[in-house]
Amino acid sequence: MSHVEHHVSSIKLLTTVFGGLVFLTVFTVLTAQLDLGPLNVPLALLIATTKAALVVIIFMALKWDNKVNTAIFGIGVLFVFVFISFTLFDTLFRGDLTNTVEGTIQDQMIQEEAMKAREPASDAIQFNRTPQ
Amino acid sequence: MANTHSDHPAHLQHHFVSSEQQFDAAKMGMWLFLVTEILLFSGMFVAYTVYRSWHPEVFVLSSELLNPWLGGLNTIVLLASSFTVALGIHFAQVNNKKGLVINLVLTFLFALTFLVVKYFEYTAKFEHGIFPGAAFDPHGVSHGVDYAMYNVPYARQFFSIYFVMTGIHGVHVLVGMGLFTWITIRAIKGEFSSEYYTPVENCGLYWHLVDIIWIFLFPLLYLI
Repeated sequence: MSHVEHHVSSIKLLTTVFGGLVFLTVFTVLTAQLDLGPLNVPLALLIATTKAALVVIIFMALKWDNKVNTAIFGIGVLFVFVFISFTLFDTLFRGDLTNTVEGTIQDQMIQEEAMKAREPASDAIQFNRTPQ
Repeated sequence: MANTHSDHPAHLQHHFVSSEQQFDAAKMGMWLFLVTEILLFSGMFVAYTVYRSWHPEVFVLSSELLNPWLGGLNTIVLLASSFTVALGIHFAQVNNKKGLVINLVLTFLFALTFLVVKYFEYTAKFEHGIFPGAAFDPHGVSHGVDYAMYNVPYARQFFSIYFVMTGIHGVHVLVGMGLFTWITIRAIKGEFSSEYYTPVENCGLYWHLVDIIWIFLFPLLYLI
């Protein structure tokens, strides 16, 4: 029976990563107290993503793990982005819902047809008619 | 091939070729489960994103009522528990039973600390009428903060999202404490070694995911 050795993370590596995570936590609390205008949200998300990446890669040991687990995790994260972005494609572009026209699209088309019917035929209208 | 129990290690089930295959299968199953957990929470993150995009000023105002120092403390507590889980797995891999048990007990205690801090945070909110849903009615003054000032339209949505997200996360912490109790008992009985520590590994993966969810909840709810 073949025995594959599992990766054993050293205590030194784990301690370093933990130190980095604590540092990033203090850093995000302190930077949140500053007014960076529109940069506050992206910065906080960037720090959180870095922390999450450290946990996934080192603590959860995806770096040394079977690549199929990385693929499973990656596909999961991809679909979170699909979920959030496709929802925002709707909710961000609904515009002013109070500024709408009475009646259905069908009603509007019927009205348009009626107005067209009242117009004279296009060949009956002659601009710049040359004097005969 | 005679399939008697003496032919293979006690932990190896008959439908697996080797311990290695059994370990990989269990771990892959765990990752699949973690993806379903990520998608469960992503629904709530979508709700947060949509409401925040509609009412950004209400979210900024309401988050002032959450204490970033308590939230930050809890973040460090959870990070420490992730660290002790990772150490526990290290000790299981090098056959150090004492190191494994100590780190599993520490993980349990950190999880308990997290929930105690959360209890104080919740009760401080409830005292001032900050409840999820229809009961939302901020009132009273403490530490120079007039809670009635925070009773603005859509503040209720922020706090409903806060309570639901941290509440479901808290339930996951509670489940984790149950898992670590079970794993610790098995570790004390000497059931784990470098040859077999799959349950420690998988509970560790679950616990790291609970930590990652909090890593995102903390800045989104408390800081920005």
